[in-house]
Amino acid sequence: MGITAETARYLASRLVTSIIIVFGAMLLLFTLSALVPGDPAVTLLGPQATPELAAHFIREMGLDQPLHIRLWRFFSNVLTGNLGQDVLSGRYVTGMVGAVLPSTIILTFMAIFLAVLFGVPLGCFAATHRGSFFDHVLAILSVTFIAIPSFVVAIFLLLVFAIWLDWLPVLGTSGTGSFADEAKRMILPTIALAIGWIGFIARLVRSSMLEILGENHIRTMRAYGLPERLIVYKYALKNACIPIIAILGLGIGRLLGGAVLVEIVFSRPGLGRLVYDAIAARNYPVLQGSVLVVVLLFVVTNLLVDLSYSAIDPRIRRRAEREGMPK
Amino acid sequence: MRLIPGWHGRIEMTLSPLMQIENLSVDAATERGTAHLLHHVSLDIARGRILGVVGESGSGKSTLASCLLRLLPSNVTRVEGRLIFDGVDLMTLDADAMNAYRGRRIAMIFQDPMTALNPLFTIGTHLIDVLRRRDSGIDRELALATAEAMLTTVGVPDARLRLGAYPHQLSGGMRQRVMIAMALLVEPDLLLADEPTTALDATIEAQIVQLFDELRQRFSGSIVFISHHLGLVAELCDDLCVMYGGTVVETGPVADVVADPRHPYTKALLACEIDPDGDGKLLSIRGDVPDPVNEGGQCVFAPRCGHVIAGCVSNEPPLQAIGEVRRAACIRAHEILP
Repeated sequence: MGITAETARYLASRLVTSIIIVFGAMLLLFTLSALVPGDPAVTLLGPQATPELAAHFIREMGLDQPLHIRLWRFFSNVLTGNLGQDVLSGRYVTGMVGAVLPSTIILTFMAIFLAVLFGVPLGCFAATHRGSFFDHVLAILSVTFIAIPSFVVAIFLLLVFAIWLDWLPVLGTSGTGSFADEAKRMILPTIALAIGWIGFIARLVRSSMLEILGENHIRTMRAYGLPERLIVYKYALKNACIPIIAILGLGIGRLLGGAVLVEIVFSRPGLGRLVYDAIAARNYPVLQGSVLVVVLLFVVTNLLVDLSYSAIDPRIRRRAEREGMPK
Repeated sequence: MRLIPGWHGRIEMTLSPLMQIENLSVDAATERGTAHLLHHVSLDIARGRILGVVGESGSGKSTLASCLLRLLPSNVTRVEGRLIFDGVDLMTLDADAMNAYRGRRIAMIFQDPMTALNPLFTIGTHLIDVLRRRDSGIDRELALATAEAMLTTVGVPDARLRLGAYPHQLSGGMRQRVMIAMALLVEPDLLLADEPTTALDATIEAQIVQLFDELRQRFSGSIVFISHHLGLVAELCDDLCVMYGGTVVETGPVADVVADPRHPYTKALLACEIDPDGDGKLLSIRGDVPDPVNEGGQCVFAPRCGHVIAGCVSNEPPLQAIGEVRRAACIRAHEILP
C-alpha cells in the first residue's frame, strides 16, 4: 500500500476525527468532576479537615475560580502533557500513569494475541466441521467462557493453578525485574483476561467463515479443485478477518475494563489498579487523568483498526481514498 | 447403400461422446417440500463441439452445470444417475478422486463475474493458484508470464498491469474475460459456461460471445454453453439442448432444431425470439413456469401446451429419437410440424 496523496488526506481526516473524540471525552470528564455533588474539599480531605485547610485546598486546586477558567486550565494542562496533580501525595498524574501504563498495555495486548492465536484456528475448525462433536463442545465452552466475567476466571485460576497445584505464583508481578519471572507471573492474568475472548473470537470466526464459505468466489475456487486448506486459510480467512478486526477495535475498551479487575485480583500494578484506588479514595484528579489515558488508548487503537482495514480490503482502501478527497 | 451392415449413424457417431449424462435426477429440500431440480435428464456432450443449453430460469440449467462438477448446494437431498466422463462414472468417485477432475479436466465459468472472484486478492493471485493447481512446481515468473499471455489472448488490455489489479478495479466484462482466461489456463477437456453473459450488458455480451466464437479455433475441448437466450445459442453452438422444468425436452444439432422444432416448447421459445423482419411485437408463452415441487406423472409442459391430448397428462413422455441424432420428449413429436 503506497502512501498516495489520497491516503495521506484520509489519514489526516481520521486524525482530526480522533482529536475531536478526545476533546469531547475531556469535556465530559471535566463536566463530571465539576458536577460531583458535595464539597470536593470535604470529600477529598475527609470530614475532620479544618475550614482553613479546606479553604487552602480549594485555592490550591483552583476550585475557587469560575468554571470557564477551570475548563481552560484543564485543557491547556492536558495539551502540555500535564494531567493534573494527585491531591493526596502531590505527585503528577502523568508520571503515575506513565509508570503503570506499560504493565496494562502488555497485559491487554498479550490477551488479544492469545485470543487471536487460539480463537481463529478454533473458529475455522468449527466452521469447516459444522455440526460435529467438536463444534458442539466448542459452542458450549465458548458461551460459558464469554458469560463468566474475567475476574471470576481469575479467582478460579488462582485457586487451581497457584494454590491447589502450586504450579504458578499467586502474585501477578514480583517487582524484581527478572524477565523469566515476570513472564511466568503474566501467564495466569493473561489467560484470565483472554479466555472469554478466545471463545468470543472463535464464535465470530465460525459464523463469518460459514458466511464467506457460501460465497460465489469460494465456489469458484472449489470448481477449480483448489485444496480445501488453501481455500479456507488463504482465501476465506482473509475475508473473515474483517469483522474480527472490527470487534477487536470495539472490544479493546471492554478488555481494558476487564484488565482493571484482573489487575486487582493478581495485585498487578497497572492502569486498572490506579483507577480502582482513585475511585476508592475519591482522588478525582488521578481518576480523571487515568480515564483520559484509557480514552486515548481506545481512540488510538481504533485509528489503527481503521487503517488495518484498508490494508486488508482494497475496496475500503479505495473508498477511504475517495472520502479523503476534498469535496 | 450401406457400407457396413447394420450401420445407421453418421461419422460423428463413431466417436464416443466426451460425457454421457444418463438418467440424472436431483432433488432438493425446500420449505414447501422436495423440489425436483432435475428429472431423468439424459444428454450426451460430443467431443470438440459446443453444446448450447437453453431454458427459462428454474429449468435446471445451472443445476445441471453444477452437477457435472458435483458441486451442488447443501440443500440437495438426492442425486441419482450416471455421469460418464471419458469412460469414468463421476458419480462413483470419492471426494478426492472427483476433485482431481475439477480445474484439470473440467473448468467452469460462472454467471456473475462480479462475485466470482475474491475481492481481497489480485487477479494474478487467483490465476497463479489455478495454474499451481495443475502444476505445483511452476515457477512464479513463468506462471505470471503464462497468465499474462492468456489474459492477452482473451482480450484483456495491459495484461501485466491487470495481474496486479483487484477484481473491483475491473469492469464486469473484463472480469468475465479473466474468468474465461482462468478456465482456459486449465486446458480442460470440458468447459462449462454457466450463463457467462447474463450479468453483462448487451454490448459487452456481444463481445464475450464473439470471444467464445474466436476461442473455438484454438480450443480443442468441448464446451457447454448455458444461456436463456436461444438466438445467441443458435449463433454460437453446434448442438442444442432445450430444458424445461428440470427435464430435457429436445436435443439435436442446433441448425436442425431451429429449422424444425419438434417439441411445442422449443417452438414456443423460437416464436418468442425477436424477429428482425417481423412487426416488432414480442410474444410470450402463456402460463407459468412449472413448480419444481410437483408430483410428476405427466408431461411437464402440458399445462402450457396448445397440443395436449389425453396421453400427455397420463404419462411422462420419454425422450424419443427423431431421426438419427435428434431427440424430443413429446408423444406428438412426429405429427406436430412447424
